[in-house]
Amino acid sequence: MLDVEIEDTEASAGPEDDPTWKPTPIEVVHPKKVDPADILLLREPEWKLRMTIEGDRSYIRVKVARAAPLTEPDRYICFLDIKDDAICIVKELDELREENRKIVLEELEKRYLTSYVERINHLRNEYGVSYWDVDTDRGQREFVAKNVAENAQWLGEGRLFLVDVDGNRFEIPNVQALDRRSQSFIELVL
Amino acid sequence: MPLGFIETAPTKIASKLEIEKPADEDVIVQMPTDLDEDHTFGEQWFVVTSQRVLLIPRQGANGTVATPLSDVAFVRVDDLVGGGLIEIEKKDGTPVFIPFSQSLRPKFAEVAEGLKRLAEGESDKLELPTELDRTRCESCNRLLPEKNGTCPVCIEKWETFWRIVGYMTAYRGEVAVMLSLTVVGSLLGLVPPKVTQHIIDDVLTPSAGFRPLVWAVGALLGVRISIWCVDVSRRYIARRLGLKAIQDLREDLYRHFQFLPIRFYDRRRLGSLIARMTNDSDRLEGLMLYELSFVLSNGILFFGILGLLLWTNWSLTLYVLLPIPPIVYAGSRIWERMMRNWNLWGARWSKLYAQLNESITGIRVVKAFSQEAREGKRFDGHNEGVREVTVIGERNWFVFFTVTNFLMSCGAFFVWYFGGLKILENEMTLGALTAFVSYLWMMYQPLRWFGDFYNFMMRAFAGAKRIFEVIDSQAEPYEVAGAEELKEMEGRITFEDAYFGYDPGKPVLKAIRLDVEPGEMIGLVGKSGAGKSTLINLICRFYDPDRGAVRVDGRDMREITLRSLRSRIGMVQQEPFLFDGTVAENIAYGKPDATFDDVIRAAVAAEAHEFIVKKPDGYDMKVGERGGKLSGGEKQRISIARAILHDPKILILDEATSSLDTQTERKIQLAISRLVEGRTTFAIAHRLSTLRSANRLVVVDEGRVAEVGSHEELIERQGIFYRLVKTQQETTAVMEVAG
Repeated sequence: MLDVEIEDTEASAGPEDDPTWKPTPIEVVHPKKVDPADILLLREPEWKLRMTIEGDRSYIRVKVARAAPLTEPDRYICFLDIKDDAICIVKELDELREENRKIVLEELEKRYLTSYVERINHLRNEYGVSYWDVDTDRGQREFVAKNVAENAQWLGEGRLFLVDVDGNRFEIPNVQALDRRSQSFIELVL
Repeated sequence: MPLGFIETAPTKIASKLEIEKPADEDVIVQMPTDLDEDHTFGEQWFVVTSQRVLLIPRQGANGTVATPLSDVAFVRVDDLVGGGLIEIEKKDGTPVFIPFSQSLRPKFAEVAEGLKRLAEGESDKLELPTELDRTRCESCNRLLPEKNGTCPVCIEKWETFWRIVGYMTAYRGEVAVMLSLTVVGSLLGLVPPKVTQHIIDDVLTPSAGFRPLVWAVGALLGVRISIWCVDVSRRYIARRLGLKAIQDLREDLYRHFQFLPIRFYDRRRLGSLIARMTNDSDRLEGLMLYELSFVLSNGILFFGILGLLLWTNWSLTLYVLLPIPPIVYAGSRIWERMMRNWNLWGARWSKLYAQLNESITGIRVVKAFSQEAREGKRFDGHNEGVREVTVIGERNWFVFFTVTNFLMSCGAFFVWYFGGLKILENEMTLGALTAFVSYLWMMYQPLRWFGDFYNFMMRAFAGAKRIFEVIDSQAEPYEVAGAEELKEMEGRITFEDAYFGYDPGKPVLKAIRLDVEPGEMIGLVGKSGAGKSTLINLICRFYDPDRGAVRVDGRDMREITLRSLRSRIGMVQQEPFLFDGTVAENIAYGKPDATFDDVIRAAVAAEAHEFIVKKPDGYDMKVGERGGKLSGGEKQRISIARAILHDPKILILDEATSSLDTQTERKIQLAISRLVEGRTTFAIAHRLSTLRSANRLVVVDEGRVAEVGSHEELIERQGIFYRLVKTQQETTAVMEVAG
């Protein structure tokens, strides 16, 4: 569980000249401190996700979201209520009960429609607009992106994130792991 | 424009539909999704008839789900990241889920919204918008980079070229003179080698004597001087012409920036827009000033020489042409790389501009958090990016230049060798060979330079595209056929079931119904994000409602000319924007022909006169960029004076009195109370006590009008407003204790 009390985690934020400097701790009361072991997730009925915090209360129609989908996709999992207000946040999936973890992963899978590009079949670039034809984990897809050189985000070594003109998300987990042809297409635009 | 809600289904889907629905039911919606139920890319067909909703799985799969409309309990759109999910909840049984990607959101969100209204009994049949955004090019069916935009593939380079040339046609006289000078100059350029040939063959070789030599050299000098004169006049006219044309273009661009709807600016970065005005128009300037006239003169020269060489000695000319295919090949290989590079160059520059703009606008924040060094590093990064891409560009060009140059010299070697043989065999004179070699280099000159030209022209074209994108964007409908001038305005504002959202399918305002009497003061209350500012945006007609209407004096705003509407709307904002100019100029901004007496009267009414005359320069004081030399309260009072002088019928006060100290606020309250008299006023204020003078308060909650009534009525009702007031009182109390 993420301790919401903000502590001096890496003692880094302070002025560089004073190594003893520590930020003043700030107590945050919301989202509420919830022990992840107390969380119980249920699909009831099949299409609705229900969440019960044992000894506290129940929520119907709960949404599961990532706090930082790009940088921390597997940690910092948020639970939102029917009005999209935050109920609580769980730092590590391991902190959840075994049976809940599966549900959380399924929910995340459903909510985030990012496609992972496995192969680039074709890529053409004209006037800063690029036309892509890719194979992804969701199947083949064509899309258009504007100013890839400007708008593509590198999320780490070889990890490329793209949003097309409509707002669809594509990710290449590792550019170097693509086949030669796909890589040369990438070099065309970047 | 195609309706888009009914698409042609493959036969298998169509036959399935035949089975599922009675023949007399009309199909209202028939379109494919782009996601399967397991969220992989695939098609499911979504059909809505007058009686039922159907979801037909992709070809071959069984399991069509048909739901009678009478069974639909509720429809909602669940926002996924990168798409959405329509959930059709039935009165009993498993709901129907229809996933779609972000590409189909506009369409599906419209249908879902229609179904939702139908299910909630707000309408009795499925209502859909009559127009949808165009996302694909009509001629090549490619996805468009911008909705309703131009297809960059189908817009031909030639079209861009002719559009640029089009800016010159306004100066036909100059163009004609320039063209004739170009032709004359190029033809004259062919003469000197012929004269040298004459000198060598007819004067020097036979030792013809002193007089013929003087004559010949004199002729050479004369030709050179005339070439020089023609060239100077041609350049002069070409520059003048280019400068005028680019001035027109820049004016055009600036006008468009002014007249473009607010929507255009919603999603664009300021810096990259400014780059279009500076960088891109600079490049176009280069093209118009130098390149166009050069390509013309060198084109003439090239073909003139080629003809002359073929006529002199066709077999030798073939050797001259030999290196051209490899030059073209090498050029085209490097060309694509260069173009890409120049696009990147533009992108990097606009990034640099954007950061410059951001860090200078936000300099206070940068300093307050002492992040100067980091901003510097960020700048270095962008600067390095620009340098890097420029170096690559230069290198590409250098490689191109060297390679082509070498290939061209090969032509000269051939000519010296084979031409030399011809001299030895007495088939050719020395003068003819010398002339031949001179022509050869003259012909290669423009060829070599064509590489540069092409590269430069493509850069300019890319810039032109970006400029034309702005010019081609739909301006606000200031002058619409059928729209009428609003002569007199009473100031009655009526919202009739108005719906509006910045993104289709995400309404910010829903079913707004409100009738405001002339001269009435309305206080708009609600949480931030409830839709108050959006409501005001509709009154100013920065946006049009998606459905329903906003009426002025009973007439739909869309039937009134924008100019006559806006000239009667005044606005006082939380952070008033003053232009760099004097105090008097700023007060008279909306009414430049106002007399100085009017300005003073407005300033007095706005409680501004007193502080203005205390300034050393009084009304002539320069306020600085954005009014930086004045305090917040001073700027506020000037903006009130501006509104008073503008004398609007409808007045908008957007948080006009927040973030001011109590004493200043009291003065401004006084000024405002004079301003609102006799005007329909909409005031937004967070501090609810400041809205006491309002005739009615309108509470906006989640895009709907939740409560309407006077301060007392709403307190009595103990609804949303009551709770807001309570919370605010408690907060104030806490703050007083703490303070």
